Amino acid sequence: MIETPKVDWLALSPTLALLAAAGVALLVSVIGPAWFRRAFAAFVVFAGFITAGVLAGFLFDRTPDAQPLLNESMARDRWAALAAIVLAGAGALSVLVSWGETRRDHAGEYYALLAAAGAGMVFFVGASNLMTLFLGLEWFSLALYILCALDTHRETSLEAGLKYLIVGSFGSGILLFGSALVYGATGELGFAEIAAAGVTDDSLLLAGLAMIVAGLGFKASAAPFHMWTPDVYQGAPTSVTAFMSAATKVAALVLTLRVLTVAFPEQEHLWTVAVAVIAIVSLAVGNIAALVQRDVKRLLAYSSVSHAGFMLIAVAANSELGGRALLYYLIPYSAMSIGSFAVVAARERELGAPVTLDNLGGFLWERPFLGASMWVFLLGLMGMPLTGGLVGKFYVFSAAYESGWWWLVVAGVIGTAISLYYYLRVLLAMWTRPEPTAFRPAVAGGSPPRDPLLASAVFASLAVTVGSFIFVQPLIDLARDAAASLPF
Amino acid sequence: MQGPDVTWYLVVSALLFSIGTLGVLLRRSPLIVLLSLEIMLNSANLALISFSRLHGDHDGQIFALAVMAVAASEVVVGLGLIVAVARRKLILDVDRFRVLRG
Repeated sequence: MIETPKVDWLALSPTLALLAAAGVALLVSVIGPAWFRRAFAAFVVFAGFITAGVLAGFLFDRTPDAQPLLNESMARDRWAALAAIVLAGAGALSVLVSWGETRRDHAGEYYALLAAAGAGMVFFVGASNLMTLFLGLEWFSLALYILCALDTHRETSLEAGLKYLIVGSFGSGILLFGSALVYGATGELGFAEIAAAGVTDDSLLLAGLAMIVAGLGFKASAAPFHMWTPDVYQGAPTSVTAFMSAATKVAALVLTLRVLTVAFPEQEHLWTVAVAVIAIVSLAVGNIAALVQRDVKRLLAYSSVSHAGFMLIAVAANSELGGRALLYYLIPYSAMSIGSFAVVAARERELGAPVTLDNLGGFLWERPFLGASMWVFLLGLMGMPLTGGLVGKFYVFSAAYESGWWWLVVAGVIGTAISLYYYLRVLLAMWTRPEPTAFRPAVAGGSPPRDPLLASAVFASLAVTVGSFIFVQPLIDLARDAAASLPF
Repeated sequence: MQGPDVTWYLVVSALLFSIGTLGVLLRRSPLIVLLSLEIMLNSANLALISFSRLHGDHDGQIFALAVMAVAASEVVVGLGLIVAVARRKLILDVDRFRVLRG
């Protein structure tokens, strides 16, 4: 009998559920009858995301102490489990948002790729070895490259896909070379073993660390590694943008904090400063560039760059409170991000054209539910009361202050103040009715079809955005349990 | 037989990485950019394998094998995209991809 390594199937089950959903959806979208493909794939992938979320919740409950998996290449802990729950929720909402998108072909494959990307992300957040880190990163990135370029009849979609592929692969190439250097300096690939090797001031190790931080910065779309973000967010299908803006950020930031705290505790004095500088640059670039945007997707893309800055403040704090703040902040942020892109998608389908500040006029009155939800999401992204955005920012700032980064707090407050301007521009654009022109022909075909699935996704995002303000304590407790599995 | 010292392999690997990086940043044809990305990944492979020799364990070699598989899938996606762009009769020049900007 061949001796096989012990595999903890429960720990891998969220990834496997999504992978199975992706496989089934892909198979049926190739061999199934044409009318059946889209509905079946969407249903299977939605069920896969829900199953993965439930399994991750089960895993969270059953894992009070962190355990290594598969020869210490993966970690089974609450940090990864809570991130997996957020990722599964983001994926399920994205399926609902995607349903109304009419696509000439590849409708089934779209959902299969969405599940594959989700599986890669859930795998990625549990990585505790440089090899699984790289494989997980490429796994979800490759699926996202295809998703961005899936609307091959639109020139902008192809352009977005190719740009994301080139810049994303460039980032992962840098990350890979950095991993090779760290391996060379320590002789180890596992995060915990790298720290245990006790190499402190080796130039190879420091160069490798810098390259790993840069590579993860590309994925988290933190400035100065953000240049792909506005183009890709604008060009990709809007439902893909919704998924990417929430899920990629969750995966990249959660793993950034893990790899830095577990593998490089000795170099803490260096990477905290590096991350703090990246955070400030992201806040500055994201907020200032967003001021001049007229395309709403582009504006939200720059807003997501600035939010990467906020979350990196929590990483720079390098404390248990910082980890808690990061995980808490990611929950309302994901909901607000998916919700706002869902509203943009609804408007885009209605107009058949890209949504700009000009054609958003009177949206609040035309579509009261979607318009009011968009108001709440944008107020949440600003950090206004009654939304989780306020609590998230408050926690991030208190974590930074506790770790002595008072100038990061100042930068964050200035960034928030600048961001008020462009968020208010969108709010105002939706409020103001367009000037009645002399001749307004009736819209052919009447009002646009209702999309109850998109509306339910927006409602769920709204519930999370407001609910994370009302039920702060339970969520903070969950985030505390999760952050306790990292060594601070 | 004694080969060259491990340092030389690392020098070649660093050189390849720089060539790849410069290729991505400077060249305009997406095909050449894709090739340069492959050179970047393979320079890391060379570094991983030489470090694996240096430390006398196999982790680096296994990693390099996995990277080869990833690099192949990346080329598949990249070439597929380039074919899709070429089918739309767009000019294959990364400087001309500027519908999305600002």
